[in-house]
Amino acid sequence: MSRRVLLHVGCPKTGTSYLQDVLFRNQATLREHDILYPADRFDAHFLAALDLMTLPWGGLETEAVGSWDRLSAEVRDWHGTSIISHEIFARATPTQVERALASLGDAEVHLVLSVRDLVRQIPAEWQENVKHRSHITYARFLETVRDPGRESKIGSWFWAVQEVPDILDRWGASLPAEHVHLVTVPPSGSDRGELWRRFSHTFGLDDLPLDLTAERENPSLGVPETSLLRTINQRVTSILSPPDYRPLVRELLAHQTLSRSVASARLGLAPDDHAWAQDLSRSWVALLAERGYDVAGSLDDLLGPDLGTFADPDTASAEVLLPPALDAIGALLVEAARLRAVEERLHEELREAHEERDRARMTTSYKVRRKVVTTLEDSPAGRGTLDAYRRMRGRG
Amino acid sequence: MTGSRAHSWVAHLRAGGTTPWLAWSDASPDPRAPGPLPGAQQLELLRRINLASSARPRGDHDRERTRLADRVLAAPAAGRGKADLPLVGLDAPGFGPRPVDPSELSAHELLRVASAVLADDLGALGPDPVRTTWARPWRLRFRLVGDPVVVGTLRADLLARGRPEGGPRPFVVAVGAPLDDLLARTWTQRCFETGTMPWPEWLRFWRGRDQLPPRADLLASVRRWNGRRPFVRIVTDLDLLPRQVGVRRLPEVRVPGADQAELARRVAAVVGLRVPAAERPALMRTLQQRIPASGVAPIGVPSRERDWVAASAERMSRGLSRAGYSVVGDLADLAPRTASAAGGSGGADDRQVLDLAIRMVVDTGWRAGGRRPHEVERQVEQ
Repeated sequence: MSRRVLLHVGCPKTGTSYLQDVLFRNQATLREHDILYPADRFDAHFLAALDLMTLPWGGLETEAVGSWDRLSAEVRDWHGTSIISHEIFARATPTQVERALASLGDAEVHLVLSVRDLVRQIPAEWQENVKHRSHITYARFLETVRDPGRESKIGSWFWAVQEVPDILDRWGASLPAEHVHLVTVPPSGSDRGELWRRFSHTFGLDDLPLDLTAERENPSLGVPETSLLRTINQRVTSILSPPDYRPLVRELLAHQTLSRSVASARLGLAPDDHAWAQDLSRSWVALLAERGYDVAGSLDDLLGPDLGTFADPDTASAEVLLPPALDAIGALLVEAARLRAVEERLHEELREAHEERDRARMTTSYKVRRKVVTTLEDSPAGRGTLDAYRRMRGRG
Repeated sequence: MTGSRAHSWVAHLRAGGTTPWLAWSDASPDPRAPGPLPGAQQLELLRRINLASSARPRGDHDRERTRLADRVLAAPAAGRGKADLPLVGLDAPGFGPRPVDPSELSAHELLRVASAVLADDLGALGPDPVRTTWARPWRLRFRLVGDPVVVGTLRADLLARGRPEGGPRPFVVAVGAPLDDLLARTWTQRCFETGTMPWPEWLRFWRGRDQLPPRADLLASVRRWNGRRPFVRIVTDLDLLPRQVGVRRLPEVRVPGADQAELARRVAAVVGLRVPAAERPALMRTLQQRIPASGVAPIGVPSRERDWVAASAERMSRGLSRAGYSVVGDLADLAPRTASAAGGSGGADDRQVLDLAIRMVVDTGWRAGGRRPHEVERQVEQ
């Protein structure tokens, strides 16, 4: 029976990809120290979350059937500490939370929520939307997020996975405060290892010989790059299906090409939005401080950076968009050339197979047998005879 | 106001009650240990189900009704829309989604829950067996392509009559129809297979690419099967289709209504999360055979898309004509029909879809073993 389950349920854009990558690659080492991270593929816990929450996800959900039950069964069977981690668990409803916690058996459940200030989360979530096919402008996105009715899909999703007190109410209502752990993302400019140290401390991974090389991250984009991607989405999302969009636009263009421009201006908030976000964050900090959760870092991290220079992605000029656009064209041409080479190789293999088949058909006996078969196939009686012959020869 | 009023309302609904939330004032404690409060979507759907089933006799149905109520209350609102919504009038913590009056929820929100309930019903029912018999050795060898609704029905019927598709040197029989119908039926059939995007988006996808979906593109379908000219038949006159597959008659084809297709589309998305991908087609085929009739017309191509459809039909006819394939009927029949152009999106109204969904939840006749609904839907116009 598992003694402890560390259930990391969010939030998105808080360094979760890096954490999950480290956990995935170090499964064997973790097991040696009685820590289970049960995943046969990198996105195993993402699929479990889709399954638990009945969330379609551009076709990926068909790979998720039964994955929550499998994951929770492995956790129940483990004698030591288990870790479950995916940021979209943050969206679970109270009924789904009840089911999730019940399926973990009698283990001592610790809830982990990694959190970052809204001043950085709001632009990051807009970028994430743009990387997931959306072409909503930044101004419209902010309006949507600030709409108290949360009528749109984007608004309701944003708050479901970013409204820290609500997530803690849904996931932590049945847990004692000391079993709820907040990991705050350090302010911009902090030491790069600081977030990992907070995660490591909370998950009890200190002093373990883990390979911490960053193999998989979810890199952010600069202002012109995001603006370009949004413009591209306007043109292509209605004609490019998700299975094509994922490798060509999100992976190739966004992650592998446009995210390399580290010198580009980073996206922030305009003064009015900045003040609103900080006011809201202050109210959250006060509430969280009262609840007495365990905090790795400081709740003050949630207030976010001071107001900086705001570069508006909705007004990026053609001149600014040109360099990343050329980078994008270059990357797509290289990819098209690679795919052409693959196609050519496949054609070559097919040609060889056809030639081999044709050589086999050049014999006289084949030609005679073929003539007999085609003659017989032209009449019902002939087809019946052929059928009987094939059955007799076991070729039926 | 406390949660006890809400829990008391939940108990009322579980017992078959139909009082709307805002008219509910009783706050007597629920004898069951109150778990988390279901969302407004689940509660309102249950109330609508109770309203729809209130005409049915009680007695033996009580236990069944409570079981159904619990399933509805536990069902998720499928998809990436709003999570469970809180009820208006309760103590609110100052964060979380804005509380709502459940009776004001849109049909779309309620459908998200209803489709999850129906997907579970379908999973519990399991797939109907495929009727087969020994293959007649003298059968004509054929491969059916084209109109997916017609082809799907014929394929199943012919298989049951010992005439399975395929075999050596088959005739490729491409079943055509006016292209607007062909597009509508291609989308409709997708809804009853893997599900797909909503009708207007699906049309926009293909128009944006200026391509036809593979099954609606007769020329591409024939080429996909390497059909050589003497072995290809393009059939636009369905009266003459039986002879092309070596039989005297073929069954009537039911074209699902717009509400049936839309409901199937939503159910397919949830079924995709409930059963392995390989099992979904058989379950969805079972739904297609059993879904109750509603009298709603099939989906139609909106009039604003007519020019593109007409140009595509012309291009396809030209291609088929140039390829020199035998035509049974007239290629002119592939042109879209002026009269059938639909206004608006040409799709189903969410309220019609919700009515059908609630009817299927309440009336379990469609799940009765082995039988199929005998209602004859709209026939394929010939």
